[in-house]
Amino acid sequence: MKAAADTHLMLALFNNGTDADAFRPLLNGLPGLLSIENPPDKERFAEKMVSLRLNPALVILSSRLYPESRPELVGELKSIFPGAEILLVTLAIDPLPPLEQLAVDRIRHLLVTPSDDELEGIFSLQEAILRLLVRTPWKLQDCVRPGSRVHELPLISSSQKEALIASLEEAISGDSPEMELLRQRAALLADEMVENALYGAPQGDDGRKLYFKGEDRAIDADEKISFRFAFDGETLAMEIVDGWGTLAPEMVVDFLARNQAGMEAEVDETGGRGLFIIWRFMDHLHVNIRPGMQTVLGGHLKAVSTLDCESPRGFSISTDYQSA
Amino acid sequence: MSSSFRVIARSTGSADYIALLGNIDASAEMQLQKLPGMVDNELVHFDFNQAGRINSMGIALLLRCFKQIREEKKAKIVLRELNPTNTLLFKMTGVFMLASHEK
Repeated sequence: MKAAADTHLMLALFNNGTDADAFRPLLNGLPGLLSIENPPDKERFAEKMVSLRLNPALVILSSRLYPESRPELVGELKSIFPGAEILLVTLAIDPLPPLEQLAVDRIRHLLVTPSDDELEGIFSLQEAILRLLVRTPWKLQDCVRPGSRVHELPLISSSQKEALIASLEEAISGDSPEMELLRQRAALLADEMVENALYGAPQGDDGRKLYFKGEDRAIDADEKISFRFAFDGETLAMEIVDGWGTLAPEMVVDFLARNQAGMEAEVDETGGRGLFIIWRFMDHLHVNIRPGMQTVLGGHLKAVSTLDCESPRGFSISTDYQSA
Repeated sequence: MSSSFRVIARSTGSADYIALLGNIDASAEMQLQKLPGMVDNELVHFDFNQAGRINSMGIALLLRCFKQIREEKKAKIVLRELNPTNTLLFKMTGVFMLASHEK
């Protein structure tokens, strides 16, 4: 299909009726949504779409359909609708979809949503859908209650890392075990995010890293490295911005998949272990890359979020999304 | 608790006891490199009670250190006093495949 995608049309594909029923309360009320259960094979599906003149801007896929039941589906969808964004949605009660196939298919958006009709789950799913339709990046302020203070800490030297982490820990007040755990997680995440910006992002023209991890270094003003966070008493949102824009979008899910599968304790610090840790400790990871110009990496976590290796975690990787 | 990394090691007749103190990151490299050479017994207890944050570089260094202890000293490694964050971190990065966790 070569015609421009219809920005008012979304397609949602489910494994079967039970699957569609599970998502119904979450998608209810979304305008321009067409749901299909157990989609036919590529040729019949393409034929049907052409005959109905359907060319959606977004295809929502249930993780009960892809990748395990229909691993070939995304490849087919991309050839039928080359201009469409693809959003894979999984219910929080379901296992994390195997990431290897997602990496192969360059899936950039995975959303984990509660399985009930709780307002928060509906809101977050529908907001993510609308954001994809209009291609606007995630904003840190959207994850915390309105009016929450946003702290911004520009970095001019690697020696600021510990002070930055201390001010983050200080902002998470409370003596409960829950808050202590949130402080521990926040400190680890901030550490990884700052290290990524300081030592991962700066690369020469040949892609080689310019600095070694742990090396003391000054940060040039052109690097525009800045850490931001906001905490509303329940949810912590954090992001780091760098002016390098060297993170390759297609590598992000590769890194996550490799580390998720590679529990066999690879010794070397290569292959995005830091990024994997950030993803696993966040409730949702957001990355927006403007190649050669800027990388924004962030996300949020709740004090009550489960701390385990099995719960699915979401991610959104976008390229050149511009703030509205 | 000081954030700079330190190691305190002692040995009894049958086991080595090694306490890791402070944050474990790139700055811990030199000390962690020397650690396998300090192991004399076939059982090594690592105490993380006073360990702080462990980042991905710290994980890489610990993996390397534990692997060397297992391969060169043929020693069994037991980790104790891990906080919940570090426990999860070790679980997701495969550290527990080289060392057992004493709860």
